[in-house]
Amino acid sequence: MAITSRKQAAQIQPQGATVREQLRAMDDSGVVSAFLGGEERAFSELVDRYQTRLLNFIYRTIGDREKAEDLVQEVFVRVYRHLHRFDRSKKFSTWAYTIASNLAKNELRNRSRNPLVLFQAVQKNWQDDDRPLQFEDSTSRPDDMYRKRYLREIVEESVAKLPEHHRNVFILRELEGKSYEEIAEITDCNLGTVKSRLNRARNSFAEIVAPYME
Amino acid sequence: MDCQEFRENHLSYVDDTLPGVELVRMQMHLTECPECARHDATIRRSLMLFRNLPRIEPSSDFSQKLERRLREAKLADSVAMRVSRTRRLGAAVTVSSAVMLAYIGFSLRQVDTPQDIVLPPVVALAQSADVQMVSSPAPEMIAAVPVGLPLWTAALFAEQTSAHFASIELTSAR
Repeated sequence: MAITSRKQAAQIQPQGATVREQLRAMDDSGVVSAFLGGEERAFSELVDRYQTRLLNFIYRTIGDREKAEDLVQEVFVRVYRHLHRFDRSKKFSTWAYTIASNLAKNELRNRSRNPLVLFQAVQKNWQDDDRPLQFEDSTSRPDDMYRKRYLREIVEESVAKLPEHHRNVFILRELEGKSYEEIAEITDCNLGTVKSRLNRARNSFAEIVAPYME
Repeated sequence: MDCQEFRENHLSYVDDTLPGVELVRMQMHLTECPECARHDATIRRSLMLFRNLPRIEPSSDFSQKLERRLREAKLADSVAMRVSRTRRLGAAVTVSSAVMLAYIGFSLRQVDTPQDIVLPPVVALAQSADVQMVSSPAPEMIAAVPVGLPLWTAALFAEQTSAHFASIELTSAR
């Protein structure tokens, strides 16, 4: 395996300037092999591919942007440290999401033990500065912008109201587009549990949001 | 199809993973049951809202922070590796010292307790039963005291008393 990695890294080396492009053209497994073969730039490629996805996943799970960034960085530090132990017969993205999911779970557990942190997080959640503003279209009318913003807040709050194990599955499926099998692997549950949680999460979410959609 | 079956299959219906026959049955039920049709619409609309939530982007200093953390992690790993190497070396030294001490101890034990000790033969003389014990001090001792000879010489003489008496007996026997 190591020899293959070195060969792949050697294939990348001579081109020099186009290394980035070559890495970009590779699938995850190729980039991982290149990194393990000594190509440090391959790690940056993995960061580029996953930073936004992981950030959104963690942010939607814990509801605190600053902490979400911190946890995404922790995911990459762990990936960097333990990539040599990663089972390459599996998907890299599943592994990365598993790390992210566990970190988010720990964060929520720590918060529940520390009411002060919970309070601060909830407070932060209400600060507009911390929230993304792309939802608004600058060409929209002010009342329309207000309605959209209000609706967005309702949706975000509704997701936050879901039980943690339902929310996790819900975000992985609806936001990240993961398959049931991948979600089962990430959350360490069987397929039946994933389907049942997802179904309940969808129903609960629709129930909470429904009055605001009419 | 009843409403319960429709709700049970709704997850797969929304995700479009139902087999063709089941899909048709679900669609048929939707046209017949306004309650389930409303449920289906509510779920789909709410999901659309959620999926359209804006994606947030990492902050501008994300990469710098990550680089710093990776540097720290590398440093911590190299320190940990050095510590573990030192520990391994220490353990190796301890084990080898213990082995050496055990070997030395074992060797010394073998020297202290030899298995076959060959002692020189001992010639023992049996004391004759008819030898009379002298109650009075030897004449040499008596002679030594008034002359002022030191007592240790007298003791030497006393040691020889048995030989002296033996020679007296020999003489008297002749």
